[in-house]
Amino acid sequence: MLVQILLNTLVSAAAGVLVAVGFTVIYSTARFFNFAHGAIFTAGAYILYALIAICEWPTWVAIPVAVTAAALLGMGLDLGIYRPLRRKGASELVLLIASLGAFVVIQNVIVLLFGDGTKTLRAADPTEGLYILGGRITPIQGLTVIGSVVLCIATWLVLRFSRTGRTMRAVANDAELAKCVGIESDRVILVSFGAGSALAAVAAILIGYDTDLSPAMGFSGLLSGVVAAIIGGVGSIPGAALGALLVSTAQNFGVWMLPSQWQDAIVFVILILFLLLRPQGMLGTPLKKAVV
Amino acid sequence: MLRCEGLTKSFDGVQALVNVHLHFPESGIAAIIGPNGAGKTTLLHVLTGFLRSDAGRCFLGEREITRLASHRIARLGVARTFQDLRLILQVPVLENVLLARPEQQGERLLPALLRFGLRAEEEENREEALRLLRFVGLEAKAYELAGTLSYGQQKLLTLACCLATGAKILLLDEPVAGVHPEMVMHILGLLRQLWQAGKLVVFIEHDLAVVREVAERVIVMDEGKIIAEGPPHEILEQPEIIEAYLA
Amino acid sequence: MDYVLHIAVLIGIYTTLSVSLDLLVGHTGLLSLAHAAFYGLGAYTSALFAVQLGAPFPVGVLAGMVMAALVSLIVSLPSLRLHEDYFVIATFGFQMIIFSIFNNWIELSRGPLGIPGIPQPVILGWAVQSHFEFVFLSTLLASFAFLVVGLITTSPFGRVLRAIREDEVFAQAMGKNTVRFKITAFAVSAMLAASAGSLYAHYVTYIDPTSFTVMESILVISMVIIGGAGSLWGPMVGAIVLVMLPEALRFLGLPSSIAANLRQIVYGVLLVVMMMIRPGGLMGRYGFGR
Repeated sequence: MLVQILLNTLVSAAAGVLVAVGFTVIYSTARFFNFAHGAIFTAGAYILYALIAICEWPTWVAIPVAVTAAALLGMGLDLGIYRPLRRKGASELVLLIASLGAFVVIQNVIVLLFGDGTKTLRAADPTEGLYILGGRITPIQGLTVIGSVVLCIATWLVLRFSRTGRTMRAVANDAELAKCVGIESDRVILVSFGAGSALAAVAAILIGYDTDLSPAMGFSGLLSGVVAAIIGGVGSIPGAALGALLVSTAQNFGVWMLPSQWQDAIVFVILILFLLLRPQGMLGTPLKKAVV
Repeated sequence: MLRCEGLTKSFDGVQALVNVHLHFPESGIAAIIGPNGAGKTTLLHVLTGFLRSDAGRCFLGEREITRLASHRIARLGVARTFQDLRLILQVPVLENVLLARPEQQGERLLPALLRFGLRAEEEENREEALRLLRFVGLEAKAYELAGTLSYGQQKLLTLACCLATGAKILLLDEPVAGVHPEMVMHILGLLRQLWQAGKLVVFIEHDLAVVREVAERVIVMDEGKIIAEGPPHEILEQPEIIEAYLA
Repeated sequence: MDYVLHIAVLIGIYTTLSVSLDLLVGHTGLLSLAHAAFYGLGAYTSALFAVQLGAPFPVGVLAGMVMAALVSLIVSLPSLRLHEDYFVIATFGFQMIIFSIFNNWIELSRGPLGIPGIPQPVILGWAVQSHFEFVFLSTLLASFAFLVVGLITTSPFGRVLRAIREDEVFAQAMGKNTVRFKITAFAVSAMLAASAGSLYAHYVTYIDPTSFTVMESILVISMVIIGGAGSLWGPMVGAIVLVMLPEALRFLGLPSSIAANLRQIVYGVLLVVMMMIRPGGLMGRYGFGR
């Protein structure tokens, strides 16, 4: 039993990390809470569904296309809405509200096109999967964990060592200064949106294969991802991983030990505890620099 | 009256304050000078509770204020201004000053809803606010939006707001920077009057002429440390100071 | 006729919700995604007080308001000392879990089945039954919300809230305990939202969790913003526009399932458009900062 819970924890943490990292990548350059991230997450999974179940494209083509589409959607939001607002000197609150609007629109378009119910990406006969120490892990779940680790390491490497990554970190640290050095933050932010949205789509697709799709998946995905990012420390990828692990552990043990009405509350309680005790998260910096 | 000992603060590996000891009397007028990055503004932030020091303590009289929140320190009679002028630009000048008035019953929820005696209190505060605006010379602009004032007038407004809090101690961050010469003399005149009225005025300044003109004491900072203290005519003649400063 | 009266009742309820949210958004500059959670807390508390305990309507309403105020502290105390983004996220999390509690605590709320048979209000002998009477009660509630928010915003308390909205550091430097003000404003807005929830519950006599989702919170935010945050009439204008919107869509003869989504798409689009061309909303007051 315990082993199964640990395995489940690992799998959901793996997906959670991707959402958290995607959110962090965008937040660290764009500097506002992009609510629409949750809708792009959902859109990624649904675009894949449309390509596979409706257009009947082969999986190995559909997945990259869906991820790219999600990345384009995210970048489209930046180009069409956030960048013009930034140019006008809009405050963070304005950007947040605009992202709320975008979220609502995308979310409802998904429901209009696909209906309210759940959709499945799973093949007709479920594969047995692997048995480890009394717990079971399906191939998709295994793929989730491996894929997540690979993507996280890749993202970390890119941010650390590539030119794009370095410019992103420069803008994240100090946009004004970066501009002086000639770095165009608009372009960097656009790239962040692309990367962050792609990561979110991958996470959604993996989750979709594991536990089916529903329009509401965006809400809880966003919440878990954001909380993981905060408690891990925004701006830190290892932190996001730790945060996702913590959130996921609490959720899975919560399912086991708590009455059902309190299971989602666990995530909130963790968030509140961190806000009270350690707002800068485990490894990173607080959401914003000090006001003064 | 206002003193600190052993204040130390660093950010991101930079030592902003290193073991700073300072003692200010009840009343006086002192200038803090030093090159950019010397830690002058950081010192102000730590003294007024906007930044927490890594080590050291601050006292107001007998009372330790080291870990107090900024608004509490302000309530104890220490008012300050900011290098980037902070004001509520979208409301009238008078409203900025009214905001600063302390102990307003109308700021509690129940009195705000039930309104007993609020009118009298507001009238009193309004009169005092107008008096202060008169003192700094902004009375004519009382009902204009703060955002329409010139830069120098806005600096006067921040001074009026500080006075409105009833503070005995005024910590001013570059009160005359970027202001044209007539306004500079006007503001310095006000500072002198405040000193004579028994207040403690401590200001950060870059212009040595201003310092010579009005300060009775100069504190020189560099790289987070206090490197000299004393009356302007002594300190400002020393070649090392001038060199450290202009370098 | 009954239909028009029904719309009038809804306008009263949503005006209460948007005016109370505006105290936070338009006057203090804090965005809360949890307004529907407090709306729901009020609804469920007074419904349960009436159905389980047989308590009279005024008692249920009061209980809902007290509940909302106390619960608001769970969100505000940890998050309001920190940067405002934390507050938004905390309200988002709170909204999600309150919905989850409504939906999953079957013993208390009957989960998705909802609570039927909520009695209509009886206030000191006056049994509110007809549509006309509900319009009257609803208008009374909206006026109460207007009064409370109006008194607050025109008082020195309101002056500090505006200062917090524009430059919180300045307010602190002038001796104001800004956290206390924010916590109080949040509690007041929660209490008013709860009272609207109570009226809603006893009007429709059946409630379920689907009326109190994050989308509902976003709807109220839209009302505040489209109408004009921080202005006197803005929130009410927004409430009227967005309550009437589905009716306008109805004339286009769309099936109701699509209409609901289309309606949400319209106000999502309006939110974005407003932010881009007229952040001050129709009544054009607070533009959410430079």
